[in-house]
Amino acid sequence: MLRKLRRAFVELSESSRQAFGALRTHRLRTVLTALGIAVGVATVIAIAAVISGLNSSFTQQVEALGPHSLFISPRPMISRGDWWNYRNRPAVGWGELRALRENATHLALVVPSARTHGSVRRGDEHVDDVEIIGTESEYATASNLRIQQGRFLTDVDTAASRNVVVLGADLGEMLFPSGDALGNRVKIGAQHYEIIGLLERRGAIMGKSLDAIALMPALTFARGFGLHRGLTIAAVAKQDEVNEAEDEIIGILRRYRKLPPEVADNFAVNRQEALLSFYKEMTGGLYAVAFGVGLISLVVGGIGIMNILLVSVKERTREIGVRRALGARRRTILGQFLLEALALSSLGGFFGTALGLFAAQVASWLTPLAARAAPSVVLLGVLFSASVGVIFGAWPAWNAARLLPVEALRYE
Amino acid sequence: MSALIHLDNVTKTYTLGAEEVHALRSITLSINAGEFCAIVGQSGSGKSTMMNVLGCLDVPTSGRYLLNGSDVGTLSDDQLADLRNVEIGFVFQTFQLLPRASALENVELPLVYRGLPARDRRDRAQAALARVGLADRMTHKPNELSGGQRQRVAIARALVTDPSLLLADEPTGNLDSATGEEIIRLFSELHNAGNTIVLVTHAPELAARCPRAVRLMDGRVTDDGPGARVALVPTAKLPSPLTGEGQGGGDVAAFDLGPPTLALPRKGGRGNAA
Ligand SMILES: Nc1ncnc2c1ncn2[C@@H]1O[C@H](COP(=O)(O)OP(=O)(O)OP(=O)(O)O)[C@@H](O)[C@H]1O
Ligand SMILES: [Mg+2]
Repeated sequence: MLRKLRRAFVELSESSRQAFGALRTHRLRTVLTALGIAVGVATVIAIAAVISGLNSSFTQQVEALGPHSLFISPRPMISRGDWWNYRNRPAVGWGELRALRENATHLALVVPSARTHGSVRRGDEHVDDVEIIGTESEYATASNLRIQQGRFLTDVDTAASRNVVVLGADLGEMLFPSGDALGNRVKIGAQHYEIIGLLERRGAIMGKSLDAIALMPALTFARGFGLHRGLTIAAVAKQDEVNEAEDEIIGILRRYRKLPPEVADNFAVNRQEALLSFYKEMTGGLYAVAFGVGLISLVVGGIGIMNILLVSVKERTREIGVRRALGARRRTILGQFLLEALALSSLGGFFGTALGLFAAQVASWLTPLAARAAPSVVLLGVLFSASVGVIFGAWPAWNAARLLPVEALRYE
Repeated sequence: MSALIHLDNVTKTYTLGAEEVHALRSITLSINAGEFCAIVGQSGSGKSTMMNVLGCLDVPTSGRYLLNGSDVGTLSDDQLADLRNVEIGFVFQTFQLLPRASALENVELPLVYRGLPARDRRDRAQAALARVGLADRMTHKPNELSGGQRQRVAIARALVTDPSLLLADEPTGNLDSATGEEIIRLFSELHNAGNTIVLVTHAPELAARCPRAVRLMDGRVTDDGPGARVALVPTAKLPSPLTGEGQGGGDVAAFDLGPPTLALPRKGGRGNAA
């Protein structure tokens, strides 16, 4: 038993010495073959890292909406290519808002918001592409906004439709670098607005700053920008009553709009859950595509390994004969060439992993995508490439092992 | 004395398409432990084929081969590999050294398949190389060695496992006569030390010095007896490089370089003897 173990160990160390020796002898060949595997592994790792980065930022963002929030808008926030069906839906307006406020029993909060994009100016300075939101005091609670300086919109601001504005962190800093934003005025569209508060920084998601926003009372917004796009209504359900709240909202709005039973809803109630599940579905598809691409390139790399190994077996036919004549068993020869394949593919896997991580890092520098390499992905890539080596090395190695000693020795 | 090798009606037939080549036809032959036996015969007579069978590198088409009393035909591939490793030392006509390995590594190789630890392998390989007079060439690669030195590395590799049977297929075929003489002297020493040796040779004067020689012709044993008789009789008509010109074909004594005791000093007495 001990003898067998020792023999296995001695043969293994000899085989690995041989395998690495063979790879060292043909450096260029080794590098090119390993490159085939490396590209496959790098692709998988880079794509997986990007998707996983996307995933975590999106999930964070959606979860920030809160599990109890519902958003009422004409169209679903996520449409699956069927936007055509929604194009004629009526806007959501004050009537719907009032109907919900008067009749809902499962809602803790009903907040309207109207949105547009525009520039915010202070003298010659201006920031473009700011999201301008007309809303009410409860928006802060519903959207998890926190005030850093000054105050948020109050019911008084709303009722009097005062020309006041709360700015996101970026805006405040860019227009008032010296920090004297509060009490100052900015021009949005044709009107001037007094700054009453600055929000805490929220950061960016997928390259889009969450801090380039300006909030004002809904009626002020209507006066400045019109309401032709209607409102989005954010509703927050009472604790553990989301499902009831959703049904209730649908009932109230159908009644308000006097929809006969046979007519489908002409509005959409969006929930975080739906967003998440849609997103998971979408990234699931991406994962499948990445997996497919990686698999294909690994197969291509594997064929490269098989090819090189067949060459290597041919070149060393006589050597195989000598080894067999001197007492090497079939499995020893098999092991020697499998090790060579394994070394090749692991080399590829190692560099592929490094390359993939690097590519993901570069992607997150150059694009808004925040790549994140899960350790499990790296492990998977390495294991995958190693098994590619074994799988594609098996046939050439078996070819080598089953050679008859005489014939191998006679090979020219 | 028990037979170390016993071939019982062994045939080997190669089929090339429709054509059949009978390399060995019904060979029955015994060789005892401790013998030093030459195999002679014309090219294509089946000598290498027989050596391959004896060395368990090839299997006969029919017939039995008993090595040390056990039927080789019943062994598995793994058992054959172990048998080659433990019982047999094979010296190939074309050396068959691994080109990228040093002399020492080449000689160590059979010990790897025996599972010896590195230190033991090196000690034994060094001893074997010293025994064939290559103590100062251990780290040389085969292409840095002369033909005779390579052949001696090959012999050291065959010896290093202390095999019960040493097989050599034309070990002097590629060498000049002086180097061939050195190799044969080495084999004689090994024989005197108790090794069993079977050796294929084309050179009648070498076969003549073996205590026993077997002549093959067209796959059959046509003669078997003392080397001096078997080796010289039929080839006497053929010119031999060592006979020199003007010597009569029947002048058997011209080939007899003396009794095969040959515990000669390595420096060799050829120059002095002339
Ligand atoms: N692999 C093979 N396939 C077909 N025929 C073969 C094969 N090996 C040997 N032979 C044939 O078998 C016969 C015996 O060959 P073998 O090599 O044993 O001769 P030999 O006595 O060793 O000759 P030499 O002295 O030239 O080495 C020859 O006719 C040869 O052509
Ligand atoms: Mg031959």
